[in-house]
Amino acid sequence: MAKKLKRNRGSVKLLRVGLLWTFLIVMITVLSLVAVNIGSVKFPVSQIFKSVFSDRSLLTDEQAVIRTIVMNLRLPRVIIAILIGACLSASGALLQAVMRNPLADPGSIGVSAGAGTAAITVLLIFPNMTTALPVFAFVGAAFACVLIYLLAWQDGVSPVRIILAGVAINSVLGAYNSLLQLMNSDNLTGVLAFMNGSLAGMSWTHVRTIIIYSVLGIALAMLCIRHANALQLGDEMAKNLGVRVNAARIALSAVSAFLAAATVSVVGMISFVGLVVPHISRMLVGSDYKVMLPTSVLMGSVTLLVADTIGRTIVPGMEIPVGIIMSVCGGPFFLYMLRKRGKYNEG
Amino acid sequence: MKADNNAIKVHLVADSLEIGYGDHVIVENMDVEIRKDRITTIIGPNGSGKSTVLKAITRLIRYQKGSVMLDNRDILTMKPKEFARIIGVLPQVHSAPADFRVKELVSYGRMPHQKLLAGLNAEDERIIKWAMEATGTWQFRDKSIFEISGGERQRVWIATVLAQQPEILFLDEPTTYLDIAHQLDTMALVKRLNRETGIGVVMVLHDLTQALEISDHIIVIKNGKKYSEGTPQQVITPQMMKDVYDVDCDIITVPGREKPLIAYKQLV
Repeated sequence: MAKKLKRNRGSVKLLRVGLLWTFLIVMITVLSLVAVNIGSVKFPVSQIFKSVFSDRSLLTDEQAVIRTIVMNLRLPRVIIAILIGACLSASGALLQAVMRNPLADPGSIGVSAGAGTAAITVLLIFPNMTTALPVFAFVGAAFACVLIYLLAWQDGVSPVRIILAGVAINSVLGAYNSLLQLMNSDNLTGVLAFMNGSLAGMSWTHVRTIIIYSVLGIALAMLCIRHANALQLGDEMAKNLGVRVNAARIALSAVSAFLAAATVSVVGMISFVGLVVPHISRMLVGSDYKVMLPTSVLMGSVTLLVADTIGRTIVPGMEIPVGIIMSVCGGPFFLYMLRKRGKYNEG
Repeated sequence: MKADNNAIKVHLVADSLEIGYGDHVIVENMDVEIRKDRITTIIGPNGSGKSTVLKAITRLIRYQKGSVMLDNRDILTMKPKEFARIIGVLPQVHSAPADFRVKELVSYGRMPHQKLLAGLNAEDERIIKWAMEATGTWQFRDKSIFEISGGERQRVWIATVLAQQPEILFLDEPTTYLDIAHQLDTMALVKRLNRETGIGVVMVLHDLTQALEISDHIIVIKNGKKYSEGTPQQVITPQMMKDVYDVDCDIITVPGREKPLIAYKQLV
């Protein structure tokens, strides 16, 4: 009996992963329905379905209002939360493979600081260009990331050098960002919203932008799986297996930076998702990126959806940016997971 | 399984290699010839550059001057995956996430043979099983790599490199962190692989007794230069031990043993 169980360990694991993925997808669906339903005004679910799915000309005035709120305010926001969560988690998971370091997140390769610098400059010095903010933020993030890799390059890119160059660049950009904020301390509303990542005011336009980036980015991330796995075995072992280690590191970092920059340019900085979600999924399903990366993607969606829904409902009449919710709830939850799953460690 | 490949004798020839970083030269004027049909061992004191030579001829690090030819082809012109199908290296430092299963780890050895998006096919599965049976690790296939002992884990790593189906297997200090039983175990495995599957073996070893016992050919390196090379009996002499290691010893022939023993004098 015991022997038989042992033989089936592989398929048992497959079944567990399948169940987990199914559970996460169901969670995303249920949470989306809940998120669409609750808010500053709460509607009965039957009313929502009626107003969304019946012919527009047959709606009562009240149903038309419901339809507008649900379709134009809440639904795009829910979709964006799902996509952003997925992108940030995938980005963090890839970087952790690149760095072979559990503390790597999109911030460590300058994505947040670079986007922040660009956004703060636009908001405070060139406010008439605010409509083009996402473009500037994306370029700023990409620029900071490239700069860090150029500085870290010495006969290849080693994780330690990337992290150290990242610390240096983050510090310089952080100083600039602080200085600019100090000099414009009476005019920081837009900056604060950007720095704390908020999904307020997301529309279908945003959805259309982010869906292209995220589908492309996540598809690219899935192509990185085998190389991410090989990098986990150490540089020399990866080289022995025929992997071009430097090229793999740069490609994986580029995909990761692309995912993070796309999100940060649309919704601002949301910390913690990229760091914590890959960890939690690693604890649940192990380090094989074939399983771990898709799990992270799904779990990131769930996480951000929960955080944003809490953020806009917990204090009536006030929105708490999702970035703040993530930091407040993510920390303790992470500690709880860490203690509960003590066996987690790096081999 | 490898018998049909025996006709092709893989040769790796390094000519006047210089290896270093910037102005700092670690190894110079190094000629090495690796023949597939034998076990070659590189020995030398700490910091002599023996691991450096192994890494340079397996493309893990760059060399500044000279050339390395594998079957008359410059190794730098070969694609990494193509090279990995002929040369398998087990580096001294390797690690894997603690949750990896033994068989999962060994399956990475198939990477050089896989297309970007392809999974493991029946042929891959067969070779993984072969590599694991050859190293006696098939029985642990579903265990996590940290549930097994250090010696067993070392055999799993050797299985991983073996799953690459290399013509020559390079092992950098494969016994360093193992207790004596596991060291002998690993050496026996290496010898068996060479004799039974015809795979060429190149090792860096610290233990001279083991080097003497197992090698067909030994290369001695001192201060980044080749001191001598030849069969174990030709190379391991009291003079070499004095010159290279600054150790006094006798080389003693024992009746009933094929190879002589090293008797160190300083401890007496």
